[in-house]
Amino acid sequence: MAYRCNVLLCTCTMCVSVGALKIRNKLEEEIKKYNLEDEVQIILTGSSWLCTKGPTLIVQPDDVVYQFLKEKDIPNLVEEHLLKGRPVPSLMYIDPEELNPIEKLQDIPFYHDQRLIALWNRGIIDPDEIDEYIARDGYKALAKVLQDMTPEDVIQEIKDSGLRGRGGGGFPTGMKWEFCRKNPGSPKYLICNADEGDPGAFMDRSIIEADPHSLIEGMLVAAYAIGAEKGYIYVRSEYPLAIKRLDGAIIKAREYGLLGKGVFGSDFNFDMEIFRGAGAFVCGEETSLIHSIEGEPAEPRQRPPFPVERGLWENPTNINNVETLSCLPRIINFGAKWFAGIGTEKSKGTKVFSLAGKINNAGLVEVPMGITLREMVFKIGGGIPNRKKFKAVQTGGPSGGVIPESMLDLPIDYERIQEAGAIMGSGGMIVMDEDDCMVDVARYFIEFTRDESCGKCSSCREGLDAMYEILTNICKGKGKEGDIEFLEELGEAIINASMCGLGKSAPNPVLTSIRHFKDEYIAHIRDKICPAKSCVELIEYSIDQEKCTGCFICNVNCPTNAIIGEKKKPQTIDKSKCIKCSVCKEVCRFDAIKVE
Amino acid sequence: MSNKKVGSVLVLGAGIAGIQSSLDLANSGFKVYLLEQTPAIGGVMAQLDKTFPTNDCAMCIVSPKLVDCGRHPNIEIITNAELGKVMGEAGNFKVEVRKNPRYVDEDKCTGCAACTQNCPVSIALYPVEKISIILRKDDTIKVDAILEEYKDKPGNLMPILQSISKEYNYLPEDVLKYISQELDISLTKIYQIATFYNAFSLQPKGKYTINVCFGTACYIKGGNRILEAFERELGVTMGNTTEDLMFGLETISCFGCCGQAPVVTVNEDIYGHFRVTQVPKLIKKYREVESAENNA
Ligand SMILES: Cc1cc2nc3c(=O)[nH]c(=O)nc-3n(C[C@H](O)[C@H](O)[C@H](O)COP(=O)(O)O)c2cc1C
Ligand code: SF4
Ligand code: SF4
Ligand code: SF4
Ligand code: SF4
Ligand code: FES
Ligand code: FES
Repeated sequence: MAYRCNVLLCTCTMCVSVGALKIRNKLEEEIKKYNLEDEVQIILTGSSWLCTKGPTLIVQPDDVVYQFLKEKDIPNLVEEHLLKGRPVPSLMYIDPEELNPIEKLQDIPFYHDQRLIALWNRGIIDPDEIDEYIARDGYKALAKVLQDMTPEDVIQEIKDSGLRGRGGGGFPTGMKWEFCRKNPGSPKYLICNADEGDPGAFMDRSIIEADPHSLIEGMLVAAYAIGAEKGYIYVRSEYPLAIKRLDGAIIKAREYGLLGKGVFGSDFNFDMEIFRGAGAFVCGEETSLIHSIEGEPAEPRQRPPFPVERGLWENPTNINNVETLSCLPRIINFGAKWFAGIGTEKSKGTKVFSLAGKINNAGLVEVPMGITLREMVFKIGGGIPNRKKFKAVQTGGPSGGVIPESMLDLPIDYERIQEAGAIMGSGGMIVMDEDDCMVDVARYFIEFTRDESCGKCSSCREGLDAMYEILTNICKGKGKEGDIEFLEELGEAIINASMCGLGKSAPNPVLTSIRHFKDEYIAHIRDKICPAKSCVELIEYSIDQEKCTGCFICNVNCPTNAIIGEKKKPQTIDKSKCIKCSVCKEVCRFDAIKVE
Repeated sequence: MSNKKVGSVLVLGAGIAGIQSSLDLANSGFKVYLLEQTPAIGGVMAQLDKTFPTNDCAMCIVSPKLVDCGRHPNIEIITNAELGKVMGEAGNFKVEVRKNPRYVDEDKCTGCAACTQNCPVSIALYPVEKISIILRKDDTIKVDAILEEYKDKPGNLMPILQSISKEYNYLPEDVLKYISQELDISLTKIYQIATFYNAFSLQPKGKYTINVCFGTACYIKGGNRILEAFERELGVTMGNTTEDLMFGLETISCFGCCGQAPVVTVNEDIYGHFRVTQVPKLIKKYREVESAENNA
């Protein structure tokens, strides 16, 4: 039975966190009320659209997007649009510049410059329905590979496409496969690294939640190429929804004969298993991940030998990132030439970024390599909220660095970003504005890596601890002359002396912020001020007597009763009691709280 | 009295002091004989974890020196040996050294240590005492069921601990001991894994675990202030549980919900765009749910 229209409702972790499931129930109720069940179909999709604007839904075939939905909006929406066919402008996306509602999905700048390869099916299909995936050319690449291509052909195709690992390293995928295939050891293993530990990144989660079959098909293609019969997907335990969807998808794929013995009736056997992590960042490192699956303490080990030579249970093992694998079906279907035609000379194809932080349109973005950071932040991201000034973007998480405004015209490309001192990383991209203190952000990352260091190398374990202490002191206004130079020296030493990628890259956030924002460090150390007004020990709260209307809200909410004054009269803050919790700033509707 | 100095020195005792002296002397050109009674150099420092007052790792300080000492062309190490007679006078001594037998050909031994694990004498002298752990009956049933599921899989420790953690909300000590006994895995190894991952806890957790996201996006949007507000409200610091075992307060590095930053979760419930002022309301909400349950 054909439906007159489809309602695509995003039910990713994010939209659920802001009530997407309530919206679904209400929608069902309302649709029933108007007896539209036979005409309108609700499709629950995975992470897809503007994540900050959730819950969102799209009505097809008109392609109208609605955002910030509340339960009470639904009756009106169903009656007006679904019943009477009149879109509701008040619920549409509002352009932050023009302030007018935009009706069609394609017209929103956020989507306009995106190009979907890894996210081919995002928000279009129900991730729990394998048939919807198949209807969009799903498992066609697998059939092509099994029928028409030898494993060597597949490897050559991927080499020609120029695909590089999306997990952070950027190692050419085809080459890695070839090493693994040529290694005489057997059996071989394929591992998908979905231990997205980089704080502030959600690409892999979104891919799995929106389109788990792309990953499964990608893994099948990779397994065929390297000659593996068994695969593991290492997913971090913080992603329960992704694990659930993936689990369901694997079961369906087995039912359809796409996994198991004799895939598609060929003599190729492959099956996979989900392995749940338990919250350790270092497990993203490949040797550590292997130890974790083996049930050993998850400390990295020296490489070489690389996992392609000696990996899981001492056998050749190929590890790829979720995004790397999810691109494969499209590369096989459309050909290496097509993929290599996108991007820059050395970085081919597209890259998925999770855009977050101080940005209007946070969300998952897939763009061709080579677009500039400026386009990313201001065009796709829609700029900085509340008319604040842009300060920097952080890429690569705790292994990466900050890129300042002056370098915004940098194209996104593995080598070019590295030249700026940051790394492409797995795709976390956090935008910061004038309120963010670069020293504090550097301290934050060092605190993170210090906690996550496995402790095997003394340079990483003790060195990061020392850096953390110095940075904490600087943030407290206790920095000394010479701290900056010492941080630089220590950072170099940690990079040189540590064994695994964690230690080798952990000082990067500090080193890049010193490189690009040295004046902020100097202000903290010499003048004892925090230019961004963020470091608690260096700021004070007070109330602007002109602006304060005496509404008394702050007085009631202050946890330490530090605000004194009578109702309807301007209030004052007793600085001896104030603990700088910022509650008053949050509740004041008249912008009367000053921070200096 | 002859005052002629010879170019060699005997250092007695290869602890940190002896090693450092030997290195200094050897570096200034003297031939050093480093005598040590035990079979290995390093002394007490090599057995310490941290050193006073700086809390530096002892091994980190001493191990490079051990290597230097072993490789130094001017140092000859004589271990497993004792000093006998000392003759001569300052500037020119003659000593007798008694070397105790090692019963191993030092030129051939590679130090693989395979023999130490198989030595029948030490096994007879220090038999590992096994106290058999018996759990309560319902616990035995639960744990046995989990063990049965994973028994024959390689690398089963992680999934087992995850299942135990799910069942009990933490890893109870006697259950870990029981697993060690049943699977014949050393308790040390189980603890090593149990303490490595953030998801495991050796302490009972609260009924509601409040997780404040400390990922980058949430941090720059005030995650730390939210954490402080919870700490104030609950009267416990991060990583701890309220006395009534109702609320545990933890941080997590990103839920992958960064678009809704800052994010807080309570067990399975996710709250996006969280504000400091919501903290008391949230606690109140769960306390009310709880008292409603108790009254029912
Ligand atoms: C500390 C550390 C953390 C890492 N975390 C991840 C991760 O979360 N996800 C990922 O795919 N790769 C991660 N990597 C990179 C992997 O080690 C590995 O290079 C990657 O999974 C290879 O896949 P690719 O060739 O497809 O990029 C991490 C590396 C290090 C050193
Ligand atoms: S660099 Fe750090 S995380 Fe990596 S092995 Fe060494 S101590 Fe562990
Ligand atoms: S909330 Fe703002 S306006 Fe109201 S009393 Fe406080 S400072 Fe004044
Ligand atoms: S910052 Fe917090 S403690 Fe200080 S006055 Fe405002 S609400 Fe009160
Ligand atoms: S077993 Fe190993 S350590 Fe023992 S004597 Fe032989 S080579 Fe040396
Ligand atoms: S930390 Fe103990 S070896 Fe250095
Ligand atoms: S940073 Fe908090 S959810 Fe990602």
